[in-house]
Amino acid sequence: MKCSFAIALNTFKETIRDRVLSVIVVFALAMIVASLWLATISLEQQARMMKDFGLTAVTLFGLVVAVFAAGNLVRKEMEKRTVFFIFSKPVSAAQFIFGKFLGLALTVFLVVLGMGVFLFFVTWLVAGEAAGSVLLATLLIYVQVVVVMAVTVFFSTFASAILSSVLGVCIFIAGQLSHNVLSLTRLGDAEVLKVLSWLVFIAMPNLAAVDAKPSVVGEGSIAWGHTALWLGYLSAYMIVALLVAAWVFRRKEF
Amino acid sequence: MVRRILLVLIFVACALVVVGYQATRPAKSASSPRVFVPSAQFFTDFSPSFRTTIADAYWLRTVQYYGEHVTGDRRFDSLWPMLDLVTRLSPHFVRPYRFGAFALLEAGRPDLGYELLKRGHDANPNEYALLTHLGFFVYTYGSNPDKDVLAAEWYQKASELPGAPDWVARVAARLLTKGGERQKATMQWAQIYGDGDQYSRDRALVELDSLLPVDPAARQREVAVLAEFVPPYLFDEFSRALLGGD
Repeated sequence: MKCSFAIALNTFKETIRDRVLSVIVVFALAMIVASLWLATISLEQQARMMKDFGLTAVTLFGLVVAVFAAGNLVRKEMEKRTVFFIFSKPVSAAQFIFGKFLGLALTVFLVVLGMGVFLFFVTWLVAGEAAGSVLLATLLIYVQVVVVMAVTVFFSTFASAILSSVLGVCIFIAGQLSHNVLSLTRLGDAEVLKVLSWLVFIAMPNLAAVDAKPSVVGEGSIAWGHTALWLGYLSAYMIVALLVAAWVFRRKEF
Repeated sequence: MVRRILLVLIFVACALVVVGYQATRPAKSASSPRVFVPSAQFFTDFSPSFRTTIADAYWLRTVQYYGEHVTGDRRFDSLWPMLDLVTRLSPHFVRPYRFGAFALLEAGRPDLGYELLKRGHDANPNEYALLTHLGFFVYTYGSNPDKDVLAAEWYQKASELPGAPDWVARVAARLLTKGGERQKATMQWAQIYGDGDQYSRDRALVELDSLLPVDPAARQREVAVLAEFVPPYLFDEFSRALLGGD
């Protein structure tokens, strides 16, 4: 555990210094400010437009940061051969993967939370509405992003950085649409297809089961029980993805 | 040195081509009154997590569409599909029902406006403004001989909701009195002015201008009576617009 935390701390320091990350964050903040312009053409719906488009920006930029950093996470260590130094010490593959993941998860947490807090204050200043639900929605977005990040780490144990990142984005999209997989084959007679679609449904993370944005803009309220269950599911999914990543990584020969 | 100057010249020439091309494009292409609007079901199936964001994007598009055509060809072929999409994706977003109902009047479809408001009321039963608008639509555009009574029922329901202003109950009561069709109409347009957005206010002023007497003294008397339906902070602007002067 101590090893994992040491690796996590090191990964955090390394990723937080990344200039690409700063550029993406500045761009994201600019997008949130740009939602002010959208708000002005919304016919007196400033607060709603800012919150909704702002949270979408937080999701998309959080995703970009997470998948591109996660795609590089393990690959960079292998390409720079620093992984040899790490494994010359008593560190297991699982400790390495968990450590790297934790460090990056902390960086992404600060990035996503930073964007959420910025959005909260911009909405407060412009629309005069201190919407705490924006911060709550930001935390739920973070959980979604971090799950995609875990799957991207898994891809990065055997694929190139770019391919892992692209696959990470695909997983995010598939996670939004996973419920459609079952409905596509529901009416057919082909049992094999039904079994296959069920497997795909199980394998993809269900990222669309809970969405906080509607409650933030006044479309109903968050079902806490359902949300807690969903968070438990996502945490379990994330652990499974990391364990599989560690297993694949352990089988690699350096 | 010569190479550097050459590079700067190439840069300036290319930059001029880029800016020149864009600057000489038509500033505004004529927009079509028919635009492609996917079904709400499509968006619900394929991007459930961005349902409200898509609704908001289409809301902005609807406002732009209305603005473009109300000042242009006055064709609103796609207005109803757009409003339908926004309100189905985000049924608790109240403004599109209110704006949409009045915008559909411009499209010559008060029936669709009424339908939209009814759907809005079903999804948001505690919004008194949707009920007062329903009453207004029934009275102003309805063909039923008992439209006074039907409209009064909507106003009565609205007056029972928390947050409904006092004038709502007064409108309900006045609708049930005999005669004075013009007074009833002016009263309702005044409440639309008092309770609506800028667009509704502009429209209400146009209607009131044609309904109120031309004689300045009589007009002033009637405008004074309408004060009870317009909030005090709007009344100065309201009376100035109808009576003229500063």
